[in-house]
Amino acid sequence: MKLISRFVSKAAGRVFLCLLALLCSGLASAKDPVVLQFTVWDGDISLTIIKGLLQQFEKENPDIKVKLEPIPDYNVYHQKMLLLYAANVPPDVAMMDPGHFQALAAKGALLPLNPFMDKTPGFDIKAYYKPIVDTHTYKGQLFVLPRDIAPIGLIYYNKEAFKEAGIPYPDGTWTWDYKVRPELKEKDFVWVCQQLVKKDSSGKVNRWAFASDYPELLARTFTYSSGGAYANDSEHPTQVTIAQPKTVKAYQYASDFMNEFHYMPNSTETTGVLMATAQQLFVSKKIAMYQNGIWVTPQMRKDLVPGKEGFFDWDLTQFPAFADGSRSAPTGGSGYCIFRGTPHPDEAWKLTKFMAGPVAMAAMAKAGIAQPAIKALALTPGVWAPGPTTPKDQEYPHNILATDQAVPFVRFEPSAYYWPSVNERLSSGLDLVWSGQSKAEPILQAAQKNGQVRLDAMLKDEHLGDFNWTIGVAIGLLIIAGIVGWTFWPERGVRYSKREQIENRAAYKFISPWLIGVAVFTLGPMILSFLMSFADWDIITPAKWRGVQNYVESGAVDPLFWKSMGVTLIYTIFSVPMGIFTALMLALLLNQKVKGIPLFRAVYYVPSLASLVASSLIFRKIFNPDNGLLNAVIYGSHGTWLGDQLSIIAGTPGKHVDWLGSEKFALPSLILMSIWFAGGGMIIMIAGLQNIPQHYYEAATLDGAGVFKRFKAITLPMLTPTLFFSMVTGFIGSFQVFTQAIVMTQGGPNDSTRFYMYKLYQNAFESLRMGYASAGAWVLFAIILLVTLVQFKASKWVYYEADAK
Amino acid sequence: MQSVEKPTDSGALDAIDYQKYRIAAKRAERATAVARVILWLVLVIGAVVFMMPLYMMVVMSLKSTQEIAASSVWSWPKNLTFENFKTVLDNPNAPFFLFFKNSAIIATFSTAGVLVSSSLVAYPFARLRFRGRDRLFMLLLSTMMLPGLVVMIPTFIMYKYLHWVDSFNPLIIPAWFGGGAFNIFLMRQFMMGIPRELDEAAFLDGASHSTIFWRIIMPNSGAALATIGIFAFVYTWKDFMGPLIYLSSPEKQTLELGLRTYQALNQERWELLMSGSVLVMIPLIVMFLLGQRYFVKGIVMSGIK
Repeated sequence: MKLISRFVSKAAGRVFLCLLALLCSGLASAKDPVVLQFTVWDGDISLTIIKGLLQQFEKENPDIKVKLEPIPDYNVYHQKMLLLYAANVPPDVAMMDPGHFQALAAKGALLPLNPFMDKTPGFDIKAYYKPIVDTHTYKGQLFVLPRDIAPIGLIYYNKEAFKEAGIPYPDGTWTWDYKVRPELKEKDFVWVCQQLVKKDSSGKVNRWAFASDYPELLARTFTYSSGGAYANDSEHPTQVTIAQPKTVKAYQYASDFMNEFHYMPNSTETTGVLMATAQQLFVSKKIAMYQNGIWVTPQMRKDLVPGKEGFFDWDLTQFPAFADGSRSAPTGGSGYCIFRGTPHPDEAWKLTKFMAGPVAMAAMAKAGIAQPAIKALALTPGVWAPGPTTPKDQEYPHNILATDQAVPFVRFEPSAYYWPSVNERLSSGLDLVWSGQSKAEPILQAAQKNGQVRLDAMLKDEHLGDFNWTIGVAIGLLIIAGIVGWTFWPERGVRYSKREQIENRAAYKFISPWLIGVAVFTLGPMILSFLMSFADWDIITPAKWRGVQNYVESGAVDPLFWKSMGVTLIYTIFSVPMGIFTALMLALLLNQKVKGIPLFRAVYYVPSLASLVASSLIFRKIFNPDNGLLNAVIYGSHGTWLGDQLSIIAGTPGKHVDWLGSEKFALPSLILMSIWFAGGGMIIMIAGLQNIPQHYYEAATLDGAGVFKRFKAITLPMLTPTLFFSMVTGFIGSFQVFTQAIVMTQGGPNDSTRFYMYKLYQNAFESLRMGYASAGAWVLFAIILLVTLVQFKASKWVYYEADAK
Repeated sequence: MQSVEKPTDSGALDAIDYQKYRIAAKRAERATAVARVILWLVLVIGAVVFMMPLYMMVVMSLKSTQEIAASSVWSWPKNLTFENFKTVLDNPNAPFFLFFKNSAIIATFSTAGVLVSSSLVAYPFARLRFRGRDRLFMLLLSTMMLPGLVVMIPTFIMYKYLHWVDSFNPLIIPAWFGGGAFNIFLMRQFMMGIPRELDEAAFLDGASHSTIFWRIIMPNSGAALATIGIFAFVYTWKDFMGPLIYLSSPEKQTLELGLRTYQALNQERWELLMSGSVLVMIPLIVMFLLGQRYFVKGIVMSGIK
């Protein structure tokens, strides 16, 4: 009781102090400028412009200071927004887009902008392009003030290629159909593609006619354009419709564009042959037409400078309409939102209005990055549309207003907050379609089914009660008591001698940093995540009580649970022993006393130090089916028995194995790749070898033991503690692996590399089901713990020098 | 690979046996020489393979965008340019030297913390007897087994209450409290390999446990300390998620975060990313080469005896 009253009086004192501080700050703020936190995901090029704009804004509003916090990684940007909001420290103003705002808006994390718009004289939202405003509206309220709209139904084309083929430049009035229509000539997109492909005498393509930035972009454009759809509604979809005939046909045609007609390079040809993005292929004249949004223009202008080597005349046009005249294409766009809870809503609105207003838009537009979201501004000569003041180096593309003409036909993806999670299920098998290994129909049928399962799970209307924190705290205390009891109860009867007591006390002094660390930093979050595993928690709104349903759903409902667990197990079983063996071999080789050995060790450690991006590029190269190193060795120049067998296993007899693109071989490829990172294990092994007292060897040599005898009798037993360590930590680590899969395969093809942790990550930050992800994490914890315990129980083979005596 | 000598008790062998022995020894010597050549061949081939990422990074960093698109990944740049390095070093949106300083501060101080605290904590687990030792050790290991992503938000909220968000504290201070289960475990394994006679003798001479730790255990743990030091430094230097979450102010960012500037959505710049990556990697290689000197110093054991 005394304790509590003391605590209360202390707390009261705190409150008083806080109030005092608040009062002081309130008085002081009359002079001090308001500081706004402002986050964007822009990279290098746009950051420079944004910084300039903010200077101007601060000059115009001397009472406001803006703290710019760039997070130049689009995916983790949204993850960090969630984290900041959950911790109640969100930025005041943040960049946002149609795919992500609804999750925040629907759950009340964003301020609706309509009240601000209403009280701002002269502000007219009707000046903005309607589609981008509509898509940022939820239940009649605008939550994101758009800064740009970026239709992706645009085609950059190489004028010289058209001139060479004798085809008039496209003016946007062309159409496409599911067959070549020679009678339409240059008005038929497919005919133009056919004409523009250039092959050498052996039939190898020298220059492709066309490429989308990524294969699915073309499929999506075909789909929208021919009237297909992905869901029955945009704001609140309940049915996945990706397997409807129109969509299937469009996806098949996109695949045929690459694999049948070779109008377009497939992804192995793009990243494999030249290791380039489609844009780089366009710039280096390897493709004649290139579909992407306007955002690539600044780079294009830098790469293609009139008068310099490599320049060619180029321009922009609209993606063709479908044969029946209908026109529709995907789009991007973004804007700025205000987080609820900002202490300075009016100032935040000022900043939002400025950054998504004419001045800022004009600055971005002049750099060619983004088409203004205000139509009149886009059409003003010299801003987006070319005018007399446009500098010479920004004349290209002449027909930049194709972006404006494309706006009426844009289609956004469903904006529902749960759609990204469903969409991830829809695209998991598409790699097989793009590489031509599978027809579109069965893949899209499966996608529709899986997507619907996910959609139903997200929409399941559960009436859940609030999370009971009293019980939660009680469980937490119980867990702590349980851990302490489990640790000390079994030894309660042991009496220590004087010497042992000294030892005991000394030991606790030594481990006290860790004990404090665990108590302060580790245990709390771990227990909280355990509690959350019984909750339904979307990170944004308070947790609801879901009981054991998360665990039931993991094991019994979620088809991906067992699949991803299997993938992880296979990876672990193969990669850990292989990694240890490789590390041991390297260590034995590199433990010789020869000149230059330190350098060699460094060389073998390099892959673990190099950027993962560089490593992944190299492995794409090695695993490339057509000219990769691995297939060159396996197939030789005439094919081999082994190669034929592998091709048959992969399901593509007669063709070289597409390692990363094949369902059978993607995981083995990643296992093979893990050897690459054996350098870390090697260092541990070398250290272990160094730790073996030299005099053992001397004694053994005097006794006449040979190299192998010495290895068996000294090296191996003395190295067992190191081997044991590598094994235990190897298993713990490899159960949690997933970065390689993100970089190399994105979990595909067909979930064959969807690691368990990858799935958890998507559950947590894409589906916003942190409670469900926590349950999955604790299942994994239990499995790893079991595996580790077994290893410790069976560790009789480990020889410890200090134990021996 | 010892040279073959006549056995000391050769007097016991008769002439024929001795002859046989000579032949066998010569054969063995030849075999060793062949093995050595093979060994070096394997090492060199392996080295070439393992150097590929570095080679590719360097080559790409020396090319212009146009050349990257137009040439093979492996080809040496036709027009060698250092322009990319200049751009990366001068870029005001990712100030290289400021970020370098931040990375260096974080990596140095957290590595120091890991070295000190993981060896302190490992010592009793390896060599002392105390209440609940084995179960506490299992508890220690279990902190590695829960995927970090589910503790990310609670941890962040906790640091917020400590007022540590947007400072280096969350990236440095926890390292001083145990230094991570991985490092403690590794240290323990190595400490268990040190023979007991030494500390037994010291203990009988009246040395305290901390004297034994500092005078006997630590000087014999050079190789393990070097290993842990290298790992901790590399880990913090290359850490992306930690700085991303805890550091918001642009002037507090690290090199690894700065590199992302060249990877932003629709604004990827391979040539700048690669030259940045090369620059970020150089300190690690230097540090690794320096750290290795302690590998050999680890064995003072036989000297003491």
